[in-house]
Amino acid sequence: MSGPSRSSGGESINFTFDGKALLGRTGDTLAAALLANGIGLVGRSFKYHRPRGIMTAGVEEPNALVTVGTGGRTEPNTRATDVFVYEGLIARSQNRWPSLRFDVGAVIGLFAKALPAGFYYKTFFGSARRWMFYEYFIRRAAGLGAAPVEADPDRFAQRAAFCDVLVVGAGPAGLIAALTAAEAGEQVLLVEQDRVLAPSLLRDQQELDAVWADEVATKIRALGGRILLRSTASGYWDDNLITLTQRQTEPGQEPADGLAQRLWHVRAGRVILAAGAIERPLAFAHNDRPGVMLSQAVRSYIRRFGVLPGQRVVIATNNDDAYLTARALRDAGVQVLAVLDTRPAPAGQASGFPVHNDALPLSTSGARHHLTGVSARINGTTHYWQADLLVTSGGFTPVVHLHMQAGGAALEWDAAAQAFLPGSARQNVTSIGAAASAEPIGPTPAPANPGKAFIDFQNDVTLGDVDLAWAEGYRSVEHLKRYTTLGMATDQGKLSNMAALGRLAEKQGVAIPEAGLTTFRPPYTPVTMGLLAGAKAKDGGAHVRRLALYDVHAAKNPIWQPLGYWFRPRAYPTAGETLAQAALREAKSVRTNVGMTDVSTLAKFEVSGPDAAAFLEIICATSVSKLAVGRGRYTFMLREDGMVFDDGTVWRLAENRYLLTSSTGGADRMATHISYVRQYLCPHLRVSAVNVQEHYAGIAVAGPKAKVVLTALIGEEPPRHMSTIPAMIAGIPVLVLAASYSGERAFEIYIEASRAAPVWAACEEEVIRHSGCLYGMEAMEFLRIEKGHLVVGGEIDGRLTPHDLALDRMLNKAGGFIGASGLSRPALSAPGRRQLVGLEAIEGIIPEGAMLISSKGQSPQGHITAAAFRIIEGGSIALGQLEGGFSHHGEELIATSPTRGQKARVRVVAPHFYDVAGDRYRD
Amino acid sequence: MSLPRIFMTWRGIVIVTDVTITHLPAATLHALEIWSNAPAVAKRFEAATGFALPAMGRSGGSDALRLIRYEPTVWLAEGDVSGLPAILSEDGALTAIGGGIVRVRLSGQGWRSLLMEGGVFDAESLAFGPGCSAATVIDQVNLRLHVESEGCCIAFVPASFSADLMHFWKTAAETLAG
Repeated sequence: MSGPSRSSGGESINFTFDGKALLGRTGDTLAAALLANGIGLVGRSFKYHRPRGIMTAGVEEPNALVTVGTGGRTEPNTRATDVFVYEGLIARSQNRWPSLRFDVGAVIGLFAKALPAGFYYKTFFGSARRWMFYEYFIRRAAGLGAAPVEADPDRFAQRAAFCDVLVVGAGPAGLIAALTAAEAGEQVLLVEQDRVLAPSLLRDQQELDAVWADEVATKIRALGGRILLRSTASGYWDDNLITLTQRQTEPGQEPADGLAQRLWHVRAGRVILAAGAIERPLAFAHNDRPGVMLSQAVRSYIRRFGVLPGQRVVIATNNDDAYLTARALRDAGVQVLAVLDTRPAPAGQASGFPVHNDALPLSTSGARHHLTGVSARINGTTHYWQADLLVTSGGFTPVVHLHMQAGGAALEWDAAAQAFLPGSARQNVTSIGAAASAEPIGPTPAPANPGKAFIDFQNDVTLGDVDLAWAEGYRSVEHLKRYTTLGMATDQGKLSNMAALGRLAEKQGVAIPEAGLTTFRPPYTPVTMGLLAGAKAKDGGAHVRRLALYDVHAAKNPIWQPLGYWFRPRAYPTAGETLAQAALREAKSVRTNVGMTDVSTLAKFEVSGPDAAAFLEIICATSVSKLAVGRGRYTFMLREDGMVFDDGTVWRLAENRYLLTSSTGGADRMATHISYVRQYLCPHLRVSAVNVQEHYAGIAVAGPKAKVVLTALIGEEPPRHMSTIPAMIAGIPVLVLAASYSGERAFEIYIEASRAAPVWAACEEEVIRHSGCLYGMEAMEFLRIEKGHLVVGGEIDGRLTPHDLALDRMLNKAGGFIGASGLSRPALSAPGRRQLVGLEAIEGIIPEGAMLISSKGQSPQGHITAAAFRIIEGGSIALGQLEGGFSHHGEELIATSPTRGQKARVRVVAPHFYDVAGDRYRD
Repeated sequence: MSLPRIFMTWRGIVIVTDVTITHLPAATLHALEIWSNAPAVAKRFEAATGFALPAMGRSGGSDALRLIRYEPTVWLAEGDVSGLPAILSEDGALTAIGGGIVRVRLSGQGWRSLLMEGGVFDAESLAFGPGCSAATVIDQVNLRLHVESEGCCIAFVPASFSADLMHFWKTAAETLAG
């Protein structure tokens, strides 16, 4: 018998690996269960498709990456060492075809010498189009697991927590630290990524044991502390904010209550890092073969899971810790054939095992993807052992990731341990236990065949690749990392970085600290994107904002249009109508009759106080103070650099009270801007500026019959254009503003939103009575384009000045508004700036978003911001931005959209296609 | 199998084991801003109403009128504000905002834990007790909180987000029961 095994008994959990039905025990990791079932070959490597097994027992595992789950729950690249078996678990190996044992891709390994570091850069050059060709094959040859194509059916949550002390790692050191803090009256949060407390106590027999750990945990909880298992501290941010990734269920498993994972945002007074250390592998030829495992992992499999990873064992080490593994193996009845210790005698000689000093494996051999032998050169003689397990230990790397993410000013170098230790930090963080200390190790000799000595197992980077990068001139550790891709795999170099640094330092002839360090970035272990999106993972991370009249609209079954977070009716099709047909019918009704629409989403601010006009003349680039009570006017706002960033209307409701409206899309930005101006620029003004966007619902009634409709609704003469009056509709107080976005006589009716439904119903009844109809955003877009009105995000894109938009004549000549100084910069009046123009089609239909060019092959001179059709006469029209646009009226251009495969010949005209004089606004 | 702690219907009151979420009827709400002579206004206010203007992060008042301070110079006024213009005189203004705000009462032992879901604010802190208020974010929605009593908190939610946020709370509460 050879290879991994476990005495049967207690297996009760059914799972599959590559379709084969297997049994596991409660508490098994997938890795443990696979080894228990005699499975040592688990995956194929990323680049060369080399057979790989299980190397570790923790989250640092580089080799045993599998895909678990099915459908939308599929989770690729899951470490077999970091998923616990559950009933029905389905696991599959990755990056192999047609099977794991017989993988055609393994032929790539035969050409490994031709595929060294930087292979892509040296081979795949030329035009971008050629790269697209190469990529097709590269994607199929190299890779990890495939992402699921179905939506994840489960939910993800996010939660805040606050504590005095956060302890990361519930090993013995972490438990004692947490208990000490709790007993001192501090509020404690203790997190552990494993599913059990103090997993190291299950691995190593000590004075403390699991019972002790449970007793400590009970005390911590009794003192008000909170303990989270299966929770990884994945990121350490400013102000002692730590993000925890908590698994509510195992990867691929259906959660009992639908919740798969929870992201904790923890604000801690101080943080204690007890995250332990990661064992390092040794570098020698074929050190990646299944059956080569790290020493502490072997102890874990033996003592925690009852698994024997091998029967005939060679141990290679440079430290004392591996002798604990030798004893564990011996206690389990396994034959330790040899201990290869890199240290000189008498290291290990008293252990009772066959120890060879100054020794390092030369290579390994295998058959059928199992380890069959280990060779080593000792005192000039090559030795060979028939073995099925090679245990290695190259020392320990304290886990300093979170310390460095916290802004660790520096790491301290422990030369004896050949390890970095956490030094001082900018935040209130302390490292303890194995995360803050390391035992001395012996020398780590260079292997004889560096080209086959892997250091980054996930990305197939060897010591030979590091040597090649050095030979080709890559001196910086950051350049070396990117050229070789070392440390850039999903394990982020947990096992490989120190080996690479050591090799680089050796080449440079300096100590390791002088070779430099790469940056420790979150997350510590991979985090699923859904968790970052949280509860709204399926809605693009955002809530849907509902109109106050949502139910009223929904009853009419409109086509909905997302607009920012809002959902607004795009059109109200009648039976059989398409969107375009419905929108054109609605727009024609407004042009010839009357229509009504919901404009509740417009930004609205009520500005009150003796200094209200002065305040508005700082916000708005047009004059306000001369506005009479009951009158309104169009206005626009500038950024400090002089660019137009929003527009709207301002109305004087009373002597010291104004209503300012602006765009829906810019509403939040405008609210921030107004708050900034009020609180920072004008705290001295006697003014109150309140966001009333949601307080008022808005209804627009537009068309030649709008005045008649309003007269019937309010029982009096409606206000003239750009005037406002208070009125009553359906017994409810409303504010009527005579303003038009459509080019027709029009009114906006504002009502307290919670009372809007009866007003809407009254308006609708009257509109219908006059043969009008409801209209949605699509018709509104047609109407405003034909009239030449601007929209934020289209024509107003933050790059145009008032002059560019032909608004300069409206500027407040007294100045003093935000952006006035910026506007005086000469560059903003330089010739050739993009300016607003209209475009009408000579041939073809103008595609929205198209580029404007003078002839084929020329650089774009502008673009189409919005396109529509003349509502009554027909014909394709558009608004756009064009370099020096005002001076190009009458010229012909090409509007071309390569992405849509559409183009049209167009003529540049003024940006008004309808009622240029504005006669239709007025009675 | 544990039962969900919460059941809820839109615009209704639902009693659950640990948290009750009640969608309160529309109320008269105003933003009260004082821009000048704050000490004098405060004296006038206390003399007229019988209680002091609440400090930052605090709320106070009576059954007829309650004020929640959510900016240095701004209070949310709930209830009868008919007497306030005279108190404010030329030193401040009242602006109606109630049409855009939905009031939600979270009551029962579970309200603090529920507010930690999707939150950024330490609602579990016992210092956040009756009479305290906060302006914070829950699942990316700006809202204001007022602790009415040890077992009850009122959330003032933007109306457009209220349906989604109520759904979020319902779902979150079910998860907490797990």
